[in-house]
Amino acid sequence: MNKNLSSFVVACNDQCTGCRACEVACFTVHNQKDNKVAYTVGTVEIPVTPRLFLTRLDESCLPVQCKQCEDAPCLNSCTAKAIARVDGVVYVNEDLCIGCKNCMMACPFGAMEMLPIAKKGQAVKQVGSDEIRKSAYKCDLCIGLEDGPACVRTCPHDVLKLVNLEEDGKEKKIKAAVALTLTGNL
Amino acid sequence: MIINIDKDLCTGCRECAEVCPASAIEGEKGQPQEINYDKCVMCGQCIQKCKSYVSLIDHGVGVYEAKRAERHLPESVKEPLFAAYNNCNLDKVKAALADKNTITVVQCAPAVRVGIAEDFGGELGTVAARKMAAALRKIGFDRVYDTNFEADLTIMEEGTELIKRVTEGGTLPMFTSCCPAWVSYLERNYPELQAHLSTCKSPQQMGSIFKTYGAEIDQFDPAKMYVVSVMPCTCKEFECNREEMNSSGYQDVDVAITTRELAYLIKDMDIDFNALPEEDFDQPLGLYTGAGTIFGVTGGVMEAAIRTGYELITGQPIPAVDVSAVRGSDIFRTATLQVGDLELKVGIVTGLKNVVPVLEALKAGKLDLHFIEVMTCPVGCVSGGGQPKLLLDSERDAAYEARTKGTYAHDAELPIRKSHENPAIKKIYDDYLLEPNGEKSHHLLHTKYCIGANNFKK
Repeated sequence: MNKNLSSFVVACNDQCTGCRACEVACFTVHNQKDNKVAYTVGTVEIPVTPRLFLTRLDESCLPVQCKQCEDAPCLNSCTAKAIARVDGVVYVNEDLCIGCKNCMMACPFGAMEMLPIAKKGQAVKQVGSDEIRKSAYKCDLCIGLEDGPACVRTCPHDVLKLVNLEEDGKEKKIKAAVALTLTGNL
Repeated sequence: MIINIDKDLCTGCRECAEVCPASAIEGEKGQPQEINYDKCVMCGQCIQKCKSYVSLIDHGVGVYEAKRAERHLPESVKEPLFAAYNNCNLDKVKAALADKNTITVVQCAPAVRVGIAEDFGGELGTVAARKMAAALRKIGFDRVYDTNFEADLTIMEEGTELIKRVTEGGTLPMFTSCCPAWVSYLERNYPELQAHLSTCKSPQQMGSIFKTYGAEIDQFDPAKMYVVSVMPCTCKEFECNREEMNSSGYQDVDVAITTRELAYLIKDMDIDFNALPEEDFDQPLGLYTGAGTIFGVTGGVMEAAIRTGYELITGQPIPAVDVSAVRGSDIFRTATLQVGDLELKVGIVTGLKNVVPVLEALKAGKLDLHFIEVMTCPVGCVSGGGQPKLLLDSERDAAYEARTKGTYAHDAELPIRKSHENPAIKKIYDDYLLEPNGEKSHHLLHTKYCIGANNFKK
């Protein structure tokens, strides 16, 4: 289906325990190819760089992640043209990111973090310095993964949901229409 | 303490409390949890479950290094650190290896060989017994022995004990005593049932032969020997430090490390695990049978015992070496086996929580079984608290299944599959122990449980 609106992952109930399994799963599936992360913790040689962020409130917690905005402030503000829309996903090309943090300032949800880049299980250094290169990290809906976002599949309490508002809206409208037919006012 | 929860990292999600078989994790939701050490059986399932890692975003730069040092982990460790963790003993092992006057002996539990390769990027359940032997030799251990040999020894002793109890009217049912978390659970919660526990030490603690028989055959001074165990289990460190585990005249096993800690050590020494050749364990205390290796899976001790018990009782070869009646992963399964004139009724419990109804039935006089195997961890030691930790819980079932499959495949490929046919076992009885359950065995290989209240303060 050709979609007008991007899908996104969002917390949809209040059952989050704060276990961070979503963050670990997110990191894992994004580093299996380039950073030799396999099944176990022992295969990880780099810092955990999640693309969704457990956020604590006084009495509860929930992960926050990108809404894949239609007119994405991060994309618009990126000076390095490192952010593009790919198949409806607002996607950061970490090779192009210069770490200017415009996207972090622009994002109204705090869904963007600046974290170290690694390749082949090693931190990537800056050209001409020993400092570690950083890039903007954000949810990319696990682009390229057949089974969809890892966080959604991993959450032990089904807190996370991949939302498609067009389908959602259609269903809601049908329900509303059915309800109207029952009022006797038509 | 052996098992710990780091208050700085714990989010209070209480996912660990869900898997704790002893209800030992206490605290309010959303607040850092505490372990009630009067209840904790040190199985380490909380460590396997915890995902609350040291985060660059939440905890900041430098906290990772500080936590790693606080936990005595080698600086070569780069993997994520989580709130729930076990005490790392590698400093002790490295010190022993570095001391030229110390004779270092290592033994590895059955389940380690189907786990260790996973921490080097291997497929789940890869059998890496002989690569592991090569790694241990390269690390510099003077003798690379195997707990699987002592598992065979356990079968000789425990099988004989069972036959005696059945034929001479001893306390039945008899429970296995290989799993130290199960033993400590019974000691603390059902001490009145202690007579039902086999008096056998666990395979690890039958390592008392290293500083006795092992010292004799190599003419080593046992005072200079240092025995290291590599275990899939976090509770084995507790077990080797039990006050009574010194029948060699020294502490029988000096230190226990986990499968994960062995992987740290291999990496710390810059050993390329995947490039290692396949090597054998040292002889004679590294020679083992298929029966020894299946100790790592639920039902394995039972199956190994049946393979030998059948032949000891009937004098006939067992019709089928694979005892499928006791395999599987059901939390409590029973089987009746015809062994000569005896209808042997056995039970297998996997997952410590599941033993409670069995113990209550026993107390109520409603349990009609001869022999019961109990393992604390979900599907036996292959799923132990010291095994490589999975990043994704969704892969847990696949991992347990693959490690179990690997264990049975290893059993099937070994030339000898019955403990009593192990030539090194025959030799140790001929030359040293003389007979199962004999005087020497009694001294070295058996113990009394429920004797040390102090044991739980460590």
